[in-house]
Amino acid sequence: MSSVSRDLVLVHLYPDLLRTYGDRGNVLALQRRAEWRGFSVDVVGVTRGDRLPSHCDLILIGGGTDRIQEAVASDLLRRRAELEEATLAGAILLGVCGGYQLLGRSYVANEGRMEGLGFLDLETTVEPGRIIGRVVARADLWGRSFELVGFENHGGRTRLGRECQPLARVGRGRGNNGRDRTEGAVRGPVVGTYLHGPVLPSNPAFSDALLERALAGRTGGDRLVPLDDSLELTAHRVARNLRR
Amino acid sequence: MSGPADRLNRVWINPRAGYERSVRRMMARPREAARLRTPRAGLIMREHTDDRWFKTEQRATLGRSLAERLARTAGILSRATGAGSGTNVPGRILERLSPQYVADRAATLQDGVVVVSGTNGKTTTASMIRDILGRQGYTVVSNQSGGNLGAGIASALLAAPSSASIGVFEVDEAALPHMIPMLRPKVLVLTNVFRDQLDRFGEPERVVELLREAESLLPPGARVVANVDDSAMWEAVADADPIGFGVVLPANNFRPSPKAGPGPTSQATAASEPETCPACAGQLTVLRRAVANLGSFECDRCGWDSAWPDYRAVVRASGGLSGTIFELRGILVTLPVGGIHNVYDAAAAVAAADVLGIPPVRSIAALEYFEPRFGRAEVLEVDGRPVWLALIKNPAGAGMVIEEVASDPTIRVAVISVSDRPADGRDISWIWDTDFEWLVARGIALIPSGRRAADVAVRLKYAGAASMPALADPVAAVRAAQACDPGGAMVAVLATYTAMLDVRSALARGRVARVVDHPVAFTEPAQ
Repeated sequence: MSSVSRDLVLVHLYPDLLRTYGDRGNVLALQRRAEWRGFSVDVVGVTRGDRLPSHCDLILIGGGTDRIQEAVASDLLRRRAELEEATLAGAILLGVCGGYQLLGRSYVANEGRMEGLGFLDLETTVEPGRIIGRVVARADLWGRSFELVGFENHGGRTRLGRECQPLARVGRGRGNNGRDRTEGAVRGPVVGTYLHGPVLPSNPAFSDALLERALAGRTGGDRLVPLDDSLELTAHRVARNLRR
Repeated sequence: MSGPADRLNRVWINPRAGYERSVRRMMARPREAARLRTPRAGLIMREHTDDRWFKTEQRATLGRSLAERLARTAGILSRATGAGSGTNVPGRILERLSPQYVADRAATLQDGVVVVSGTNGKTTTASMIRDILGRQGYTVVSNQSGGNLGAGIASALLAAPSSASIGVFEVDEAALPHMIPMLRPKVLVLTNVFRDQLDRFGEPERVVELLREAESLLPPGARVVANVDDSAMWEAVADADPIGFGVVLPANNFRPSPKAGPGPTSQATAASEPETCPACAGQLTVLRRAVANLGSFECDRCGWDSAWPDYRAVVRASGGLSGTIFELRGILVTLPVGGIHNVYDAAAAVAAADVLGIPPVRSIAALEYFEPRFGRAEVLEVDGRPVWLALIKNPAGAGMVIEEVASDPTIRVAVISVSDRPADGRDISWIWDTDFEWLVARGIALIPSGRRAADVAVRLKYAGAASMPALADPVAAVRAAQACDPGGAMVAVLATYTAMLDVRSALARGRVARVVDHPVAFTEPAQ
């Protein structure tokens, strides 16, 4: 495969299973925004039984229902070593919703306890009553600060441990657990968020923060050239100002 | 606060006023009521039905006929004040005043009741069954223009003529377990389960669970008619010995979708639900795919496989938006509406009618005259030119509509109108799982519209579409579409539920006529 010669290898984990909430939009946002800046991109779908490419720059795990999460859990846990190796080699790992929960230490539902990858120091417990609604939050990621808009829909309540930072603080919405106003989590190159929307297309600053770090090997860490984001920023503004 | 609205308020919601007196006073002031066209009056009309005073013991003393009269009057008032179309208000009042009304009235329908539920195709399938029954001479009561919750059904029963002998109701999935014991249907038709309104249901699995629960509440002797091609839903009701329907496409009919980034493995598109074995969650092998995740499957791990449908529609030719030819039970059917989803609905309708004793050949004859209704592939007219209006609400259904539009060579421009009110689903993430890329690849110009027009514009930008101005107002968007295709045959409008209502009500204000004679031209599937 020509993966090695590409500027950016974007891996979508379980595109056939963890994709209930527009997760393809996140992949598309990263892919297009790199291509529009002249980088070549290889998008690789990896599902149960497939091997991860030998080199990857950005790995995305999307969201699924409880039943589907259980179906992928054993495969995902078998990948722990190869995922860890990829992040140590510089890859960024983004988990959204269900994918975010699986990055944590464990997921406790009525039926029992499910182990996670443990890349983020957090635990998720299912409580009665789903957290569903619009979110506006202020994110701090790798020295950048930006506003996030999105939609949350999760039954789990996530509590962060000491070894990771929240991705954002919610102004509107309930975030990780509805109590401490935190949303998502970050630890080094591993990032998790509950936000759908999907989160990246209408939050171009978040997309570019991920891309800039993933492309640092090619760019020497330079800032990416700005794009015309007028449509994205209009959508962002509309979402922020929605009343209900 | 005082003024007419406040007076109406007092007439209506004063807990001390007797019901009969309320009605008499209200009826004595028709002119005043008619003057109340303010949104505020509408708010009161809606709010008062939730008021606590309905829950007093007085309710139990109300006779059915009095409750009916009160509800009817409220419907008239609602229409007169412009507060609503009057389709739901009477039903909401009946639900409060006479909770047994639906059950009592449904029991008087001597030829029984058919209930249709599922994510997509409820309205069309129910319309088809109603047409089939109507052409056999039945007087049918149906909630065709009203809501599909309890209130809409109560309203339909209230408005039904006394000669009505059979009911056909589409019922919202969440309301189904509550409505089944009241309606006691002879036939329960289940169309499919796709991810839809997840802000309301949480997960699609919850909907499957609701349908299974509804099936367990059916009266003895009732039959379930279900989509065999939806493996998760079928398996959930398999204990009920359902009658199955399914659709087969010609083998060469797979048009690969232009990949918008990562394609899921196998031929599934992003619109498909995740495909795992309903028995063991193992990996499924696709034996035959009709559309999205509908098809015939086999589990690699436990050997589970899809059942064989009793009613199997084999598509022979497609005429884009104008129609489809398929074969069912050895009969060649010319359905005057396009799209695979309508073939599913037709197969379901024929199966349901068969349970009621109507032979397929008679049902099919009725379906050949089928006219779509209420934003389901309707053709309206704006400034003398036809506008084709279709409902989209989730990736699977939208994908079928998109394929239909993309396969019609006369369409050169389309409006994509997405709103995010509760009836649409407040989370619009699904537009990113919807293959607008097909329309872009066909060179169809796309105009973003609806409350979330800005998000549609972003979605289309990432699909590679040429930029068009986003116009939240649906009529402005339709006019802009017509302007950019001056000599064009027809503009397609793909709209979510409330966006579709906005389009319809705006077009109705402009006195728009229905186009009856849209020519049907069939093409063989490409080799």
